[in-house]
Amino acid sequence: MNFILEGFFQAFHLLASGNAETYSAIWATVKVSSYSIGCSLFIGIPLGFCLGYFDFSGKKSLRTVVDTLMALPTVFIGLLVYAFLTHRGPLGNFGLLFTLPGIAIGQTILALPIVIGLSATAVESMDQKLRIAIMSMGANRRQLFLSSLWEVRHALLAGAIAAYGRVMTEVGISMMVGGNIKWHTRTITTAIALETNKGQFGMGVALGIVLLSIALCVNISISFLRRRY
Amino acid sequence: MVPPIYEIRSLKHSYADKTVLDIEHLTVQPASIVGLIGPNGSGKSTLLRMLGLIESPTQGKILFNGREVEPFSDEARFLITLLPQEPFLMKRSVFKNVAYGLKIRGHSSDLVSRVNEALALVGLAGEDFARRPWDALSGGEAQRVALAARLALKPEVLLLDEPTASVDAASAQLIKEVSLRARQELGTTLIIASHNWDWLYEVCEEVRHLFKGRLFGAGKENVIFGPWHQGQCNLWEKRLPDGQHIRVSEPPEPDAVAIVEPTSVAGASDATLADAEANILQGMVSRLALEKTNAEIVVTILIGNLPFTSKLPRQQVQQENLYPGRKVRLNYNPYSVKWL
Repeated sequence: MNFILEGFFQAFHLLASGNAETYSAIWATVKVSSYSIGCSLFIGIPLGFCLGYFDFSGKKSLRTVVDTLMALPTVFIGLLVYAFLTHRGPLGNFGLLFTLPGIAIGQTILALPIVIGLSATAVESMDQKLRIAIMSMGANRRQLFLSSLWEVRHALLAGAIAAYGRVMTEVGISMMVGGNIKWHTRTITTAIALETNKGQFGMGVALGIVLLSIALCVNISISFLRRRY
Repeated sequence: MVPPIYEIRSLKHSYADKTVLDIEHLTVQPASIVGLIGPNGSGKSTLLRMLGLIESPTQGKILFNGREVEPFSDEARFLITLLPQEPFLMKRSVFKNVAYGLKIRGHSSDLVSRVNEALALVGLAGEDFARRPWDALSGGEAQRVALAARLALKPEVLLLDEPTASVDAASAQLIKEVSLRARQELGTTLIIASHNWDWLYEVCEEVRHLFKGRLFGAGKENVIFGPWHQGQCNLWEKRLPDGQHIRVSEPPEPDAVAIVEPTSVAGASDATLADAEANILQGMVSRLALEKTNAEIVVTILIGNLPFTSKLPRQQVQQENLYPGRKVRLNYNPYSVKWL
């Protein structure tokens, strides 16, 4: 048991002393997860809106595919992205393998079905009378889209948090696509895995605490936004 | 003649394979008040949604000010507004709900004054009220806020779908007054779907009857549902709730729906009532309402619990001494019955 307690003390020491290696992993995680969640929201919310709002043939099948992709294993995404980004792969020329943008691509693929699926659910649960209310006030298509999204903002936020949580805590993609390179592509989760394997519990616990703190900050901010709007 | 503000040509609308609207031709004059009467499911709300450019018809055209329009048409979307039957407010404050349409139109300078003016019109003035969230309002208040949001736009056309159906008497009265004021002060064309016949006959220049998606007559026809059973003298009949029979010519099918137009209504003594013949129904006057255009009186007669209406000249109402509660004989021609 002692080594766990010691780990906690060491964690506070590492964070308080501004340990460069620890902060490098934190920075890499924040950066890469922000890129990926930004991209997945930008692409996923309009697609989710269309999936939830419009009726078209094959909608149910498409919905099943999206729901299935929500459970995509991270190592499988890592494998696919690796295959595409490796020098022999179709996107090898871009030199994205073992880089933070490479990890961000994989994490976007991970978050995208979650954002699309949960946005579609939010839009489907929208009251049909809302469309009539907005259109009867003279809204054009863009205003109808934006106002409808604003009406389901809380459900969309919940979807965004779920996607962010998945992106922040994944190991498979960061490990396979990023390569866990110190000072470069090492993220909090890959660092925890590595340090635990090395028996360095302090570093692992420190990074775990940071991960939890980031999640707490995000949730507090979201709660504030929900109360405010 | 002033060109119509609305013209409908060969409009058909279906949900799945079921046709819910089938209107060959309809025109609405600018600044007029048109009433739509019909039972639930007759297509009133669907027609209002078409006219409000919320939905496109499956077939046919809707012309607004002579131009063909459809949902999101730029030439019409700022001029037409629809108040749905159930009030629906967006998840924002009362002020933001009323200001929404104005913001869309780019009115930012006089936003506060126009919102306050509209709220005052529906009797909900006050900054405290404007700050209330959408979910802190009663049903009547929500409907009045929804109406204020439409009135703030000063629309050319205001479509009202059962505006008084789900509110208390005071809110209903206010909604009626304010809608008419919009017509009087702004020249707004009002198209009102309502079950409140008295109100419609009182305020509308034209009342149209809608049944199974088709427009017919001017609202005074009486719709009688089957089933019909073969009776005497080649006539078919239906037993009314009070034991009387209504006799008609042969229906196209036993469950057909008949439209019966009374030919005369006369006051009756108990003696004449006892002598009732075929083609005559006995009933009691339940309502009298003045029709706006040609000053006829719309008489509603209860036969059993089935309401029949007939339009009569004022003099006849006076001569026959018709008043609510008066027993009457209602004459009709069984061979002039129309079938839907």
